[in-house]
Amino acid sequence: MSGPLYIQGYLSYGTSLWIALGVGLLFGFVLERAGFGDSRNLTNIFYFRDMRVLKVMFSALVTAMFGMVALSWLGLFDYATLVEVSLLNTYLWPQLVGGILFGLGFVVGGYCPGTSVVGMVSGKLDAVVFLLGMVAGIWVFAAGFSLWGNFYMSSDLGKLTLWQAFGLHKEIAAAAIAVMALIAFGLTGLAEKWAPYDK
Amino acid sequence: MEKPDYAQGFWNPYLAGIALGVVLLLTFYLMGTGLGASGAVARTSAVIAHEIAPSTVESNGYYKEFYKPSAKHPFVNWMVVEVAGVFLGGLIAVITARRFRPGVSRGPTASVGLRLGLAFVGGAIGGVGTRFAMGCTSGQALSGGATMAVGSWVFMMAVFGTAFMAAYFVRREWS
Repeated sequence: MSGPLYIQGYLSYGTSLWIALGVGLLFGFVLERAGFGDSRNLTNIFYFRDMRVLKVMFSALVTAMFGMVALSWLGLFDYATLVEVSLLNTYLWPQLVGGILFGLGFVVGGYCPGTSVVGMVSGKLDAVVFLLGMVAGIWVFAAGFSLWGNFYMSSDLGKLTLWQAFGLHKEIAAAAIAVMALIAFGLTGLAEKWAPYDK
Repeated sequence: MEKPDYAQGFWNPYLAGIALGVVLLLTFYLMGTGLGASGAVARTSAVIAHEIAPSTVESNGYYKEFYKPSAKHPFVNWMVVEVAGVFLGGLIAVITARRFRPGVSRGPTASVGLRLGLAFVGGAIGGVGTRFAMGCTSGQALSGGATMAVGSWVFMMAVFGTAFMAAYFVRREWS
């Protein structure tokens, strides 16, 4: 059967929730096995001591990105449905501001939302406190929504991919991203050598 | 210097990344959307606030989308169930690796009080960030990044650019 199955109507809502539990379970398991249950393993990248965050994230991104392209070549995945129906909308300025705030929160707080859950089940009190901080932060966001609600929905560029924006074939864009990732992987070795743990 | 204990005993990061990528690909094949996390935290914050002040939450400009008339409970939601799976999967991984270590992860010279204070502040700032960005490292950077969505890449670059620059100012927390 050609995917994506759920949004093409092959699966019921109830089934989708069982899928959620299953893929979530695999997601949490792999995050722990990658070492992401400890904030030091997540923040050491910002001091060039341990570049595992970049290595894990970009190899995962490239795997899934090429996987979808390859499945569509094989006729097993309708890429047009992805682009036209389920792609995340781009809200340019809110996502830039959100990214700046999130990056600050990441290095100050030591986790991101998914990894803080894995940190919590690893016994890390700082992960629990980070989660509580997120809940409180979202209260503040909701409380002030009348002030920034318009900004939140602004600069809506709709469903837009990098390859559409640059006028490329998706395969070319994917290959360019993969080359960037390989260069970054090569540089991580230099970074880790330059900044050992005791420096 | 050798890698410290907390950085040892894990999968090779490239293999872990490929494993994560296969899970993500499976999710896209089945659902058409990727993995996420922060949406579940947003719903949790809505549910807690709703326990305290139901009418305020139901009329709040942001939270009201979770409390539409005749809608199911905010926890009956794909991403909330997925994050419950993350909790269980993480727990299974921790137990099978015998890696449950209660404590506070921090740099060698940082106090527990400093670390926990900054964990809360960072969580709050990051939480606000997830709402403006409509996602986090999972939903936007990783999943949206794999679909080559423009906003997801803008978000990812902003996250890492900011974190590398801000790291200098919190080096006492981590170094």
